[in-house]
Amino acid sequence: MSGDDRRSGGIGTTGLVCPAPAPEGDRVVLGHGSGGKLSARLLRDRFLPRFDNPVLAALGDGAAVRVGSESLAISTDTFVVSPLEFPGGDIGLLAVHGTLNDVAMMGAEPICLSAGFVLEEGLPFDVLDRVLDSMAAAAGEAGVPLVTGDTKVVERGKADGLYVNTTGLGRLRAEFRPGPARARPGDVVLVSGPVGRHGIAIMAVREGLAFEAEVESDTANLGPLVERLRGRCGDAVRVLRDPTRGGVASALNEIASASRVAIQLDEGALPVPGAVAAACEMLGLDPLYVANEGVLVAIVAPEAVEAALAALRDHPTGAGAVKIGDVRDRPAGMVSLRTALGGSRVVDMLPGDQLPRIC
Amino acid sequence: MKYLSEYRDPELARTLVERIRARATRRWTLMEVCGGQTHTIVKQGISEVLEDAVEMIHGPGCPVCVTPLEQIDRALHLALRPDVIFTSFGDMLRVPGSECDLFQVRARGGQVRVVYSPLDALELARRTPDREVVFFAVGFETTAPANAMAVWRARELGVENFSVLVSHVTVPPAMTAILESPDNRVQGFLAAGHVCTVMGWEEYEPIAARYGVPIVVTGFEPVDILEGIAMAVSQLEEGRHEVENQYARSVRRTGNGPARELVERVFRLVDRQWRGIGEIPMSGLGLREAFAPWDAERKFGLDHIRATEPAECRAGDVLRGRIKPVECAAFGTACTPERPLGAPMVSSEGACAAYWASARYRDAARPEDVEGPLAADAAERGA
Amino acid sequence: MCLGIPGRIVERYGDEDLPMGIVDFGGVRREVCLAYVADEAEVGDYAIVHVGFAISLVDEEEAKRTYEALKELDQLDELEWMTEIGSGPSPAVDGDAEGAA
Repeated sequence: MSGDDRRSGGIGTTGLVCPAPAPEGDRVVLGHGSGGKLSARLLRDRFLPRFDNPVLAALGDGAAVRVGSESLAISTDTFVVSPLEFPGGDIGLLAVHGTLNDVAMMGAEPICLSAGFVLEEGLPFDVLDRVLDSMAAAAGEAGVPLVTGDTKVVERGKADGLYVNTTGLGRLRAEFRPGPARARPGDVVLVSGPVGRHGIAIMAVREGLAFEAEVESDTANLGPLVERLRGRCGDAVRVLRDPTRGGVASALNEIASASRVAIQLDEGALPVPGAVAAACEMLGLDPLYVANEGVLVAIVAPEAVEAALAALRDHPTGAGAVKIGDVRDRPAGMVSLRTALGGSRVVDMLPGDQLPRIC
Repeated sequence: MKYLSEYRDPELARTLVERIRARATRRWTLMEVCGGQTHTIVKQGISEVLEDAVEMIHGPGCPVCVTPLEQIDRALHLALRPDVIFTSFGDMLRVPGSECDLFQVRARGGQVRVVYSPLDALELARRTPDREVVFFAVGFETTAPANAMAVWRARELGVENFSVLVSHVTVPPAMTAILESPDNRVQGFLAAGHVCTVMGWEEYEPIAARYGVPIVVTGFEPVDILEGIAMAVSQLEEGRHEVENQYARSVRRTGNGPARELVERVFRLVDRQWRGIGEIPMSGLGLREAFAPWDAERKFGLDHIRATEPAECRAGDVLRGRIKPVECAAFGTACTPERPLGAPMVSSEGACAAYWASARYRDAARPEDVEGPLAADAAERGA
Repeated sequence: MCLGIPGRIVERYGDEDLPMGIVDFGGVRREVCLAYVADEAEVGDYAIVHVGFAISLVDEEEAKRTYEALKELDQLDELEWMTEIGSGPSPAVDGDAEGAA
């Protein structure tokens, strides 16, 4: 089970998903799916106690399991985005790239995928075909076969058109095991490209906000980037994470907490495309919390920074790779940002999703 | 972005910081009464950079923070009705009422939607004639023209399934209430640039004169805020107490005529409760009689819904600048953004949330602050 | 209630009923109500937009004037500094020196 819930849709035609810091209620609220603190609590309080085992307890993006003399990586993810099709992609691309990326972030070489579908009664075939075409193209390009799957149909009104779960299997290599607890003071934080594109692209077509933006989802297979990093830097790559739900801020918070280190970001260094910045201004959002689907965060040993950046920039998906911060030893678990002015602020994990504001 | 990015120029900002620190012969205490300004001050770490010259007290400029508990409870009540689609700005959704918040209401089946503009809520009403659409009209004077237009258009177009739950407040009475307080420490104000874009600055002149405080109408970007602070400090050093306009690219003395006019036609001044502060007479806006059919309070008979504020939350003292958030016993312990006791911790511009965002007030070595799905595991390993 | 950002009016319509327009915010476009600036607003003007309403038109003359005054202040400060130390090129700005006290 992934600790990274990837919900980017509202329910049917209702508005945005919302954060929910409220005292414990007796039922699931949307905030539980946001990838923030509420999600973490849901896992820790309700799921972990029932499925207690050391592999699950590690709560990585995927799990490492020994099979004979080999170690395999397994990761699963469910995609519920609405609308199904959006600028730059569709749910199919997200489903394949998303799980391939989770496997890659563990340092594993992908072997195969499975896909489970919940189709809503009334879903037009041409929509389904487009989604399946996307999945086939993405899996084909990655050279990873879809080897098994399942399909169910539910009554009209019950699945936002289509939900899909993908599970990926990969082969772990002993000498390349990036993990969230491996960051150390002195390490450097890199990002592979501009941030905020996916979240803004989705919001632009979501009802209630209705704006046009020259922004497309960045959904991409990050496998090639990871292979280049492995080839050039090997074990100097301490942590890899794809900052999806909750953005760069949430991903770095999880890492800082797991590694018991502090991370300091440099505001001026964060690459935010103009249109993403403009949309964030309009809605009162912070790009640090906006979802990405084609970007990775890498924490590398200081001596490997130049090689890592070169490796990333060697591929179109990583052309915009830059350093965005450093790892320190204190205060443990805290992510902070140094502003252009020289001041600083804490970059917290949000309880739930970021909401547009008018204030 | 034009007319935005220039006012974020770090070099200009640094120059202004130097100016302020060179000019101040003692530490002055200023207050901003605007959530947006609080947000910038916190986001940019401005208090930190200026601390030896200026103490910034964050005033009650966050409409989320000052919306009375009772009004939130009324909103929740409406949102729970199956025939109602409850619409609101994003800011309001996170505020806890007496028992729950709008998210839990959603989980219970209530229809709650975020909108960007009140006209979107009206449009929704037109598209869903079989439902009642209620819009949570919260805000200061900046938002009043937009909310007024939505109600005005509803009447013009004969849209009967639309109504607004009003919780509007105005700035000058709050400023006066703060200045009247016997333990007031505020020596000068930054006035909210967009409130004044609508209202102008005429109504601040008598306040500056009577209480002898400089009031500088200020914008929202770091350069704006620093320039506004610099102007206020200059006045204080020179013993002046006038109303000055830093945000001249948007604000004129009489504000926006057509906007003020429509607000006048749709709303009237009423007494309003400010959460944590209490009632401030003639500090709010309510719908005029002619618009009663679009007033959700009257339409749905919400009078019986009352609430009392919890005693432990010292939000009022914080909102008035009487205590700093860190001086509240609950700060960071019983009260965090995740489990807030009061509104100033919920809203990202609330003073308590602002302090929380400043690293120095956080003891991040405490494990309970270090969240994340892996925290438990990390704690176990003892790191 | 303060979040108002500047954008350029790129289209205007609806004058017979409710003046509306399309405003471009650095690459992002949205429909905006122009009722409160209807008398003066022209395509190409910049407006401050709050919750889908233009609440003012940016006074570009004023903006230019005050911005230039600020820039001058910036240069003036550097000049003063140079005069104080006697001569020489302006130093690289030392980030730490301007940081928090």
